[in-house]
Amino acid sequence: MTNLLASPPFAPRDEAGFLNGMEEICRWHLAGCPEYRRVWPDWSGATRLADLPFLHVGVFKRQLWKTAVPGITHQRTLRSSSTTQSSASMIALDERSSALQGQSSAAILKEIVGDAMRPLVILDSAQSLRQRGEISARITAAMSLRFLASEIHFVLDDVEAEADWDHLLPVLARHQRLLVYGFTWILWRAWATGQIPEKVRQALVQTEVHFVHSGGWKKLESARVDRKRFDAALLATVGPTSRVTDYYGLVEQVGVIFPLCEAGYYHVPRWAGVLVRDPWTLEPPADQPGLLQFMNLLSWGAPYHSVLTEDLGRLVPGDCACKRCGQRFELLGRVPKAETRGCANV
Amino acid sequence: MSDKIHFFATPHRCTAAILPFDLEERLKHWTSLRLKMVKHVHENFTRDEWAYLVAFLDGANLRKPFQESFGESVNGGQPQPAALLRPRGLIGIWLPNNVSLLGPLTLLLASFSGNPLWVKVGSSSGDLTAAFVDYAIQSLPVGTLAGYLRQRVRIERFDRQDLRNRQMAAEANVRVVFGSDPAVSAIHALPHPPNSIGISFGNHRSEAWVEKEALTDESLANLIRVFAIYGQAGCTSPRRVVVLDGSDEDALALQKSLVRLWPKAVRADVPMHNTSQNIMELQLALAQGWHANSAPRNGAMVAAGRIGLPEPTGLMSLSVVSASLNEAVATLPTNIQTIGHCLHNPHDPRWLDLIARTPAKRFVPIEAMHHFGPVWDGGNYWRQFFEEVELQS
Repeated sequence: MTNLLASPPFAPRDEAGFLNGMEEICRWHLAGCPEYRRVWPDWSGATRLADLPFLHVGVFKRQLWKTAVPGITHQRTLRSSSTTQSSASMIALDERSSALQGQSSAAILKEIVGDAMRPLVILDSAQSLRQRGEISARITAAMSLRFLASEIHFVLDDVEAEADWDHLLPVLARHQRLLVYGFTWILWRAWATGQIPEKVRQALVQTEVHFVHSGGWKKLESARVDRKRFDAALLATVGPTSRVTDYYGLVEQVGVIFPLCEAGYYHVPRWAGVLVRDPWTLEPPADQPGLLQFMNLLSWGAPYHSVLTEDLGRLVPGDCACKRCGQRFELLGRVPKAETRGCANV
Repeated sequence: MSDKIHFFATPHRCTAAILPFDLEERLKHWTSLRLKMVKHVHENFTRDEWAYLVAFLDGANLRKPFQESFGESVNGGQPQPAALLRPRGLIGIWLPNNVSLLGPLTLLLASFSGNPLWVKVGSSSGDLTAAFVDYAIQSLPVGTLAGYLRQRVRIERFDRQDLRNRQMAAEANVRVVFGSDPAVSAIHALPHPPNSIGISFGNHRSEAWVEKEALTDESLANLIRVFAIYGQAGCTSPRRVVVLDGSDEDALALQKSLVRLWPKAVRADVPMHNTSQNIMELQLALAQGWHANSAPRNGAMVAAGRIGLPEPTGLMSLSVVSASLNEAVATLPTNIQTIGHCLHNPHDPRWLDLIARTPAKRFVPIEAMHHFGPVWDGGNYWRQFFEEVELQS
């Protein structure tokens, strides 16, 4: 694992070595997590990634999974930012995995945004950091950029509130480059369509801003905001060399992020893998869309190393125009929800 | 159409009912609709739902409310009624989002009371009631039924905050409310006429009781079909199957048989989000100690285990347990609606003794679990669409 993390995230890799690594981590969790062992009682080995055990993403919303093995110290529980529609995922974080996950996100983010230190502006509330025993996925995503931060500024008191633009003004006076992170819908609400005071607006157009966002587009679909409109609205507020970077990631696989490249594909770092499964047969279909399953070699404290999602996607063969190596995929949205008909209890 | 007095009789009592239509004509018109319905399935309905509606519109079935409430029709002679039944007046029907066929079926039966109807349908879903009434109006021959549906049935879509809820409650002589228990209570708590009555169809669940010697592939296929129509979303769908006086091995054998027979009983694939949920439910059930399998093509999750394990809650999750008769009764949910049975001798008097100890509202063969009628949720609600005048000569 150390070897994999030592190389650039999107360099070529030894596929057999990755499969072996995944087998090793599966055996680790089978030995240390009785619930996981009950789900996969007969698994003995794999000759392909599709034969590896996995857990459905929804199981993390219903119970806390832990692998109890000597050397693993569990810390806080990571919680997804639950919406009104669903409950939150709960991921037991541990020291060993957290160290690897930190290295992973740092390596990938450095590849995306460069390694220059600059102020990090987080469109979120600092209050989320102060909950004992738990940490929200939004804050975890934001704080994964802190290694690039010369200083950190939270500019929302509440995710539904207006940004504290006055707080930003002195920062803009001192710096010509900024890193701004927000969940996609928060960035849209608070920045792209926010009421930016004229003084701040004048300072922003002279600042190079690299916006980084994640969290998905679900909330913006109803507002019919697509990527082109989103990027244009953000870039219209800032200096000419500014950029916007979107990445995909799972709360259930913290530390592994899949940046969207300029050619329009999400790229998989060499310590992770992606599979597509047919929802009805679970077999991997050839060049067809299906449920995305993500794997990584970083997750040792609980069996979230191989997770079948409810996101639909397609693997894209061949080399990418962006020159990154390894797997890449297209994201096609969420599994469509059909109407459930029933009686009073629906 | 002017009001017409119809007579009905049991061996011990004669009842008169004043109806604003001719019963035979109304029966004829509803049954005539079947001939058109069998030619194609309406786009808002599943094939199963449409087939059930067609079967429901059978003339003999439509006579049942009168037979079960008043007796057989009497034509000719000099009947001496002991009671006169008179339509109560406006019936308000509240339907939640995504309600099943219960909406159109209630409306259909209510049409035989002759009362005007005001139906509130869900505000955010496809609705079967309005779809069926629109279809009927377009397809029925000119006559009193089409006129009734057009002029006396008002269907509106609005949410629970809408002021029309208050207006409906204030004007209705009968409130029929489908919904969660809090929603039902909220409607009945609205100001309403002092002599009006409230009929509640709240949260319920159902299960199946089977004896292993009574099970055949055919009865298991029936069980699968009954479950698969609405899965756990149906208040009359079995959420768990209890093998009475069975062993753990019996429950496991039944679970394996259900999985084996599933694709023969249900040929269509479930939607993608159901397959995904079934995978999740399978893994959770296994983690919790159930013996569980997916039906082929992830069409359902069937789990066998002991009473006391956390019950799977997925839409297409069915659990199988073994239990003694006393355990079966003791572990019934308090809101049990229907117990579907597959028994060696369902006529054995011990079943009556047993059901008497439960809060169950129905004890019917598994294949009849979804069958809706004038008696529902513990009472003959249809009879309450009429007020009764005592007659003595």
